[in-house]
Amino acid sequence: MKPAEFLSPTTLNDALELKHKHGAAARVIAGGTDLILRMRAQVLTPSLLIDLQHAALNNIKVSDKYLEVGASLTISEVLQNTRIEDLFPAIHMACRKFAGPPIRNRATIGGNIVNASPAADLVSPLIAYDAEIVLKSANGERTMPLVTFFTGAGKTLLKDDEILTQIRLPLSAASTNAYFIKLAQRNSMAISQLNLTTRLNLNRQGLIETARIVLGSVAAVPMRAMAAEAMLVGEKSSEDLFYAAAAQARQEVKPISDIRASREYRLQMTQVLVRRALLESIANV
Amino acid sequence: MFDLEIEVNGKQEQVSVEADTTLLYLLRDKLGLTGSKDGCRSGDCGACVVLLDGKTVNACMVLAPQANGASVMTVEGLAKDGELHPLQRCFSESWAFQCGFCTGGMLMSCYALLKSNSNPTRDEIRAAIAGNFCRCTGYQALVTAVEQAAAELRANNV
Repeated sequence: MKPAEFLSPTTLNDALELKHKHGAAARVIAGGTDLILRMRAQVLTPSLLIDLQHAALNNIKVSDKYLEVGASLTISEVLQNTRIEDLFPAIHMACRKFAGPPIRNRATIGGNIVNASPAADLVSPLIAYDAEIVLKSANGERTMPLVTFFTGAGKTLLKDDEILTQIRLPLSAASTNAYFIKLAQRNSMAISQLNLTTRLNLNRQGLIETARIVLGSVAAVPMRAMAAEAMLVGEKSSEDLFYAAAAQARQEVKPISDIRASREYRLQMTQVLVRRALLESIANV
Repeated sequence: MFDLEIEVNGKQEQVSVEADTTLLYLLRDKLGLTGSKDGCRSGDCGACVVLLDGKTVNACMVLAPQANGASVMTVEGLAKDGELHPLQRCFSESWAFQCGFCTGGMLMSCYALLKSNSNPTRDEIRAAIAGNFCRCTGYQALVTAVEQAAAELRANNV
């Protein structure tokens, strides 16, 4: 690794000033579990590391519309949060499948987003709950739906002077009719061959009011199967309906073959697992 | 260079390192604590697991400056006054290791488990060591060793 300067600002404003001044030459470090690997491989050679662990981005609070999650929260802290488990259980499920305990104790929810891996475990459940993200700079802040943040594998809309500070989960999207599945070669310490989250909100008549089917590792960016979602809205849950939606989801994904799985396998498993996740989503109704 | 203060196994240390030095390098090469092993250098194998402020981490995946002001416990901190920790003794008595390369990290993950759960099930033990790979002994004897150590610790605390 190439030596870099290391600064540990104690306020978010100080961190934003540093990012403003140094731009792309500076990298923000949270848990470091991806960044350190990329620095070691010389993929990234920042001249300055801005450590966020003392910048007060690790709280969870409820506002009138959102559950607001600080970007520096570790996967373990997300996993232990009972409010997330109760309101947004698919996020909790994804945390359980995330690497192993020592990595979960360091890796952060914000890091998992900014890293922009198509296989990121937390991104499909976050998108399924219509998560929004807050990007701050010394000049202000902007908010966007997480689903629009990714522009390619490893690429996002984050500007050189911005820091991801918060993930906002709309309370109106909370649902226990949700399910996360990670397909990988081991139960732990594995990168997804495919991961997906389904989330349904049912109305009083038991009809599907909102449907989300979000998949990772099947395209350059995590994606919604929107035509499949549309087939569900206004309908009553049934095996036949879910089977048809799963077949539609298969038509929408654009997987590639890589070291973890072939394109054909991913296509096949998209159909199998979307159906399974939808069935599990309503298993407790 | 980055000057940092760190408590390691109860002892306050002052060290100067390059800013992108890992905690593992600091422990092994600066402080001579070689019980934490340099395995995969990518956070995959768990041979370098230590406790950082009470939580298990891969020491190869923490930059030393990130541990500034923190408290670290390594496998060398388990034995007290020359007497093995019950976990260490049970590992030995149950033949829970052969080559020993994974053992330091395994012990730290299991130590962290027993601090928060004095009576873990076999599944809970397996979940606690999900980030620790053993490539020669396997896991059955190890899980048994942790069960025995937990029982001993419970008996001693009564």
